[in-house]
Amino acid sequence: MTTKIDKSTDRIKNDILQYIEPKIYNCYQCGKCTSSCPLSDVFEYKPNQIIRLIQSGNIDAIVNSNSIFLCLSCSICSNRCPQDIHIATTINFIRNEAWKSKRFKIKSIARFYREFLRIVGITGRIFEPGLLLRLNLLNGRFFNDMDLVLGILKKRKIRLLPEFVKKRKNISKIINNNL
Amino acid sequence: MIKKEHKTEKLNRVAYYPGCSLNSSAIDFNVSLKVLLDVMGIEHIEIDDWNCCGTTPASNISEELVATLSARNLMIAGKMGLKDILSPCVSCYNKLYKAAYFINSVNKMENKREEGIKNSILRTLTDMGFDTRQELNFKVYSIIEFLFLKKAEISDKFKELKKERDRNKEYSIIKSLTPACYYGCALLRPKDASRFDDVERPTSMEDILEKVEIECRNFPFKTECCGAALSLSNKDSVLNLSGQILNAAADSGVDSLIVFCPLCQQNLDLRQKQINKFNKTKHRIPVLYLTQVLGIALGLTDRQVMLDKLFISLKNT
Repeated sequence: MTTKIDKSTDRIKNDILQYIEPKIYNCYQCGKCTSSCPLSDVFEYKPNQIIRLIQSGNIDAIVNSNSIFLCLSCSICSNRCPQDIHIATTINFIRNEAWKSKRFKIKSIARFYREFLRIVGITGRIFEPGLLLRLNLLNGRFFNDMDLVLGILKKRKIRLLPEFVKKRKNISKIINNNL
Repeated sequence: MIKKEHKTEKLNRVAYYPGCSLNSSAIDFNVSLKVLLDVMGIEHIEIDDWNCCGTTPASNISEELVATLSARNLMIAGKMGLKDILSPCVSCYNKLYKAAYFINSVNKMENKREEGIKNSILRTLTDMGFDTRQELNFKVYSIIEFLFLKKAEISDKFKELKKERDRNKEYSIIKSLTPACYYGCALLRPKDASRFDDVERPTSMEDILEKVEIECRNFPFKTECCGAALSLSNKDSVLNLSGQILNAAADSGVDSLIVFCPLCQQNLDLRQKQINKFNKTKHRIPVLYLTQVLGIALGLTDRQVMLDKLFISLKNT
């Protein structure tokens, strides 16, 4: 899916410069972030390229690539940046914006987040077996991780029944506003 | 560096936020930590009716959502008269820490946007029935920072409990290992958190373990990310990243890892068979929680610290 440049991506760039990381133009492309990133080999745009794309205002290219959705937020990029640019926070900001405008490119990840939060919205806490079963069902890979299930059950390393938070209505309200 | 001694006295009574993992797949971390705190005489009071912090899914879709979910737990702790919160799960810790940043009264927000988020969180908390006009002042501790602050007490207890320890054979089993400490990406975040250790070359875990006479070997992947929550959406990345950690451990002559993050432990222990299959390796590296090792060193039994929950068991290593 390619989306044309619109006002909203201008706004994202402005917000980054104003609120998230005003030092974005200090990047001198040393590539330390990219060589540190545990996932840069699978990123379509590497962290240093993402910074370049932000500088040139091409937020659409970032949102249309897989990088920001795969980012683990481990923050090693930010910690090692010699110019002290908070790359991980910036990436997460763009990811938040992509969610708001329903432009989450990687469907399996969007589904994981949505199903996870739906369960938390119902019970107030995550219920792992429910999440795994539901994801496998929706992803059409029912036997994914089934090799682990027997061991987990044998070791009783799982809660078999969900726990319910008493005031879960408070939780579901704020979650539903974001789904 | 953290100013020590006088500060630790206050920390003998903490609000305890287990989080969802520790109530389910990381039950061994939960139980071993609680018995360890009991032995050390630290009162831990579970936060009433706590909810999920929101963790990666909430954080990755909305900064405000994750901070609001987490802040509710802080407010309940506050209602219980507790301001120091111990949050053993690395992910929960990060989320609760950030929530405290937003709602603590003394914190000046950096800009209009942050101010907007802060006000919105406080409004939601008020709607939930919390008193947000009072002075809010929460301090959230990660398990590694907490135990690091308590290392003098760990050392004292270790000397005091020699008899209890010698009754168990597990301590000698652990002492016969060549372990390495694996920190993962835990110390990197949040960036503004008090730095009690070097984030790239951490030694806090080794320092704590030294107090119970357990020596750890250095290895080059101490702070590499395990792949974390991608295990539920992009599993291959996790099997690759966690595989590299096990390879580096084996290459360094390490036969076991000591960790303090439930997700790292799960990826490295529960998925070790999957990792071996994916990378065509034959590792058999037990991955213990720091709290299990400390518990054994302070005279607790293998049952008390739930060593039987490891998928790659300690026996026959």
